[in-house]
Amino acid sequence: MTTKQRTTVTVNGRVYQREVEPRLTLADFLRHELHLGGTHLGCEHGVCGICTVLINGRSARSCLTLAVQADGAQVTTIEGLRNRETGELHPIQQAFVDEHGLQCGFCTPAFIMTTLELLRDNPNPSDEEMKEALGGNLCRCTGYENILKSVRLAAQRLRASSAA
Amino acid sequence: MATELPRLPEQLPTSSVRYVGKEVKRVEDPALVSGTAEFIDNLTLPNMLHCAILRSPHPHARILKVDASAAEALEGVVAVITPEDVKRWANAHVTSPPGWGTHCIAIDKVLYVGEPVAAVAATSRALAEDACELIDIEYEILPSVGTANAALAPDAPVLWEEHGTNLIQQRTYNWGEVDRVFAEADHIVTGSFRWNRCGANPTETFGCVCQWDLTDNSLLCHGGYQVPGFWGLARSFSLNLPANKVKVVSHPQGGAFGGKGGARGTDIAALLSRKAGGLPVKYIEDRMEYLLAGSSQSWDRHYEASLALKADGTITGLKVKLLDDQGATTETYGTISVAKPLAAFTGNYRIEAAQYDTTLVVTNRAPAAPYRGYGPPPHFYVLENLVDMAARKLAMDPAELRRINYIRPDQFPYTIPSGNEYDSGNYEAILDKVLKLADYQALRKEQAAARAEGRLVGISVVNTVEPGVFDWNAYATVGVQGVGVPEGARVSVDILGNVTIVVGFNLQGQGQFTVAAQVVADYFGLDMNAVKVTMAPTDSAPPHFGQGGSRLGVAITGAVLGACQKLEADFKRVVAHLMGGLPVEAIELMDGKFRIKANPAIGMTFAEVAGTMLGRSDLLPPGMEPNPTATSVWTAPGRNMPDDQGRCKSYLTAASATHVVMVEVDRETGRTQILKYFIVDDCGTRLNPATVEGQLQGALAQGVGAALLEEYVYDDQANPLVTTFADYLIPSIHEVPIATKDFIVTPSPVTPLGAKGCGEGAMHTTPAAVSCAINDALAPLGVQITETPATPLRVWKLLKQAGAAG
Repeated sequence: MTTKQRTTVTVNGRVYQREVEPRLTLADFLRHELHLGGTHLGCEHGVCGICTVLINGRSARSCLTLAVQADGAQVTTIEGLRNRETGELHPIQQAFVDEHGLQCGFCTPAFIMTTLELLRDNPNPSDEEMKEALGGNLCRCTGYENILKSVRLAAQRLRASSAA
Repeated sequence: MATELPRLPEQLPTSSVRYVGKEVKRVEDPALVSGTAEFIDNLTLPNMLHCAILRSPHPHARILKVDASAAEALEGVVAVITPEDVKRWANAHVTSPPGWGTHCIAIDKVLYVGEPVAAVAATSRALAEDACELIDIEYEILPSVGTANAALAPDAPVLWEEHGTNLIQQRTYNWGEVDRVFAEADHIVTGSFRWNRCGANPTETFGCVCQWDLTDNSLLCHGGYQVPGFWGLARSFSLNLPANKVKVVSHPQGGAFGGKGGARGTDIAALLSRKAGGLPVKYIEDRMEYLLAGSSQSWDRHYEASLALKADGTITGLKVKLLDDQGATTETYGTISVAKPLAAFTGNYRIEAAQYDTTLVVTNRAPAAPYRGYGPPPHFYVLENLVDMAARKLAMDPAELRRINYIRPDQFPYTIPSGNEYDSGNYEAILDKVLKLADYQALRKEQAAARAEGRLVGISVVNTVEPGVFDWNAYATVGVQGVGVPEGARVSVDILGNVTIVVGFNLQGQGQFTVAAQVVADYFGLDMNAVKVTMAPTDSAPPHFGQGGSRLGVAITGAVLGACQKLEADFKRVVAHLMGGLPVEAIELMDGKFRIKANPAIGMTFAEVAGTMLGRSDLLPPGMEPNPTATSVWTAPGRNMPDDQGRCKSYLTAASATHVVMVEVDRETGRTQILKYFIVDDCGTRLNPATVEGQLQGALAQGVGAALLEEYVYDDQANPLVTTFADYLIPSIHEVPIATKDFIVTPSPVTPLGAKGCGEGAMHTTPAAVSCAINDALAPLGVQITETPATPLRVWKLLKQAGAAG
């Protein structure tokens, strides 16, 4: 064990300050220090993408990021998406429900976080662009078809609401 | 009480079915997309400790010494368990056939890399892992058995000294006059096939939190348990507890596909809790542990197989000789995967005689586990490749050769030579539909044009039967006893008419909670949001099994319908009494209303009756309990004990699918690209069509993995060479083709609402279909790939051999 380091991370708009071991991953920090359990772990060696969160707006694997590396960063997780007042699902979350874009749901938060980044940068992606963006996320249940449909529907709804 | 369950959705007591058979949104999903579902690693109990397991680095070695003193002395370590503790407190795992199970921690010797040898509970997982590094184990390395063939060599090292042999079981089944049909055949095609290990790899590994109550001497296990009651029973054997002192709480699971496992992890966490004075202990398997020695590896098979045909293409006989590497132990029920093909041995075909010669051996590889399909997927890979080889030999179109051998619609129910009865089907209608969907003739023209350009393009038309709704009787041939798999539901109505359905299993991805809610909502004319489905722990759940064997959608439908019928009968008694003492038969249920048949305008709503039962006991018929609750437990009807050749009515339903696949093999690299994919399937009534389609596409993805990418590679000394997702290649969005799909509906005549098991689905068909398409592409070169997965290297070697590689 080594000396703990003070780490300050803003997660979903709220500032958290903790003393953490340098070896603590951001994923474990979110899950076990902050009790934000929606970010899941699939392999812990950076392949499956199930731990994806946004760090300063960019998708990143929280299993390969140390908590101390996120010191001073803005992190967005699945818990930050739903409307806090009404409980209403984010349009991307709702699209995954509507298009059956999940089965067991374990990889789903990561797909949604990746989609959030994709549609922010590219509101009208082609199928190839979607695949390119989602290629780093593994899903063992769905065979990806309904995930693609969900992303298409989410894109369409988000474009419609921003045009309105 | 009615005894017959509705055979079709139209027979439900409603004038217009609103949910069953319609695409409904799943009740499971809002929590899952929000990240709030309580997967096991999200559970924290007060004073909880964390477990890490030290595992064997050797495939085969004697344990000479275990010294855990340095680990025990580390600050933050609360308990360490070693072979001594396990000898004192635990038993070897129960297996079928019996006697091939080890303890949760190795005693005396290790049989595979990754076998647990000690475990630590500490205040954090990181500390527990630090402590594992301080445990000193002295091994005497023994020669190991690396392959199934090596296991049977006369001088092979013996893993299990008490058995004196590496042979678990050898058994040959003869069904019909096999020798005669082969002697009388005009053509015999023969092939050797090798199916290498692949496996489930759910995105969530196994995890549990166990707490031993030292006062009550009982055990509480929270975890990702696929089959909670069964696992509880198994713990009672392994941990010397009465079964009713083991309480299992199943949490939502991030997939399982049969390969979630958890027996060892649970026993280890439980014993650590016992040693730690009853503090709860969490164990979360990491991905490397899962890949190395979780229930991750399945189907390690060597096949020799032959098909006998008449000159006109009639298939008359099938012989399959299987050498199956079960790994070091049989504790994860890999043996069942050898027995299950009996349920659909001859596939879609009328084949009068068959032989199955099975040899099961132990080696120093990890124990073999169940995986989606549980045995038939490799079997169909063999059978369908043989049929394509026959088509080439007879110069027949592979689709037409299949067509002339199909079991015909008027032959159902149809008993296959290996004894199972198929309930219904229409294979020719499926074939016609998929050939049209794919525009098969156009595909063949496209292929001819590509070949003319020197491209290696191939097409397959492959069909399989999916045995659905498993029964234990199917596995008697490997020592599993019993007939019947009970699945229960308890349906309760509150005073305002809201319904709660209690079941014995938890979420795993297939949407069975939604199915249960659909059925009740249609039965009593409710909105689906008036129905809540919840899981009860094993100490309060009705008898149950859980997910497995393409069974739960059908089974839970039967259980829920049975409970609805009991409630209906009670509610009718209340209404008949309140309507001036009418006979119960004068009341009918329709669209949520209990009304007088002769005067349908008069009656009571579902909520009014429930409210009366719970709030106005003065109005109830004399002696009636104020209890609008009913429990029903369903099991497949008509199952029987197997005969001496393993023949019995085992799987209740026979779904079927035909896939048409077009691939191109790259001459330069041997890489296969799937160009087009078409599926038509028939699983009877589709209870929630979107869920069925999702299962199909998901199983297709796993099939592509098995066919092209996924393999647990070992060296010849049984050292695993695949331990991360960088080596074990799960298909990504770039590798999985999106199939064009359609379906037909031949309702099952023997299940509630006519649904058939469909959860394993395309896993039966895709590996065979992709492989047959590759072999069609390679056919002009005179080479065939008969080993899975068809990696670029394997295919390139064949191209090189044929002088065709770049």
